[in-house]
Parts: sequence; structure tokens; C-alpha cells
Amino acid sequence: MVYIASWDDFVEKSVQLFSSDPEKTRYSMKYRHCDGKLVLKVTDDKECIKFKTDQAQDAKKMEKFNNIFFTLMARGPDADISEVGGKEQTEAHPAKKGRGRKQ
Amino acid sequence: MVRLQPDPFLNELTNMFERTTEKGSVWVTLKHSSDKSKVQRNKMKTAGEKIEYRCLIRATDGKKTISTMVGAKDHQRFQSSYATILKARMTALKKRERKDKRKAADSDKKADSKKRSSAAKKASN
Repeated sequence: MVYIASWDDFVEKSVQLFSSDPEKTRYSMKYRHCDGKLVLKVTDDKECIKFKTDQAQDAKKMEKFNNIFFTLMARGPDADISEVGGKEQTEAHPAKKGRGRKQ
Repeated sequence: MVRLQPDPFLNELTNMFERTTEKGSVWVTLKHSSDKSKVQRNKMKTAGEKIEYRCLIRATDGKKTISTMVGAKDHQRFQSSYATILKARMTALKKRERKDKRKAADSDKKADSKKRSSAAKKASN
């Protein structure tokens, strides 16, 4: 099991793994409240990378990471994950307005 | 393995976190999936049909497993509800105590080193 020390490295490698094999790559999270530990694992059944922490600040980073992976996995590996959340909402609104005006 | 709709899944996930407060773990796994077997997918590929992919989310507490499929349209809503649950539940993680302790330790060390250097200067004089 490869534990990665740097958060940014972990994120980068995970996205790379997913892009290279979207069919097989999966992202797992294990949380133990009694120990106060959180472990993240991304694997494509050939390579495996893990990140473990007990820090509350990493939970926030993990949230952003979750957003990235939700977008990638729901939409496909070609999905645009830059600034996940903010830009997508602004793009959705103009489309609705357009349909209303056409008469 | 129980397959649920996204909203009941989130409710069950909350219950799972509640049950494992004193003992146990919660595992949540995300995977890109089409919910079809390889045979079906190959057939669809040769027929030229477009395969719809979704996000498969599984959660388990070691005994019970639940799962749900989230499509591209509802993933934003699901992701914000999911984030809310995690934020509310993951309270056992440590806050930034180490940095504060380090700062306090560093400031103490600096004070000590200053005292020592000033004492050494006085001694040399």
C-alpha cells in the first residue's frame, strides 16, 4: 500500500489514474469515529495510492476532492473539473433563460 | 447489497455514521459505472448504442452494504447533501492543535535561546 504524504500529489495521481482507466478506477474512503482517523484510497487494480489523516483540515480538502471525483465519475473522464461547483452553476442558468424567450 | 434511490441512501448513510460513533468504520466507495455487464456493454458497442455512465456509490459499516447510482444531472445535488453529512459527522478529527503547539514551542525555544545567548554574552563580559 503506497501512502502518499503530500495532499496535492495524491490528488494529481488520483486524477491521472482515473483518466488512464475510468472503467476500473475506484475511490474508497474509510472513516473511524472512535479512532478519529480518515483513510482515502484510489486504485485501478494495478496501482494503489492511499492517503491517511487525523486532521480536520484534511476533511475540508477531501470535500473538494469528492467534488472532483463525483463530477468525473458521473459525467465521464472528459468532464471539465476546473473550479468544480461555481462555474457549472453559472453555465446552467443562461440555458434556462434561452428556452423561455424562444416563442 | 441493497440498491437504493439517492435520497434514502443518504438517510441510511447518516444512520450508519450514527451507529459507528463508538465502534466501527464507515467505508464509502465511488466508481464510474454503467450498471451493465461486460457482455451487455460489448453488445451495445457493436450495435452503436450510446452507453449511459453514472457514478456508483457504495457504503458499508462492515455488516450492511447500501448502494446507489447517481447520474450526471443529479450529481451536484447529491454531492452537496453528501458533503453536508460528512461535515456534520466527521467531528472526531483533530483541529489544528499541532500548529498552535508548535508555535508555542517555537516561541518558547526562541525565548530560551535568547535568554541563553544573553546569559552567554553576560558571562563572556
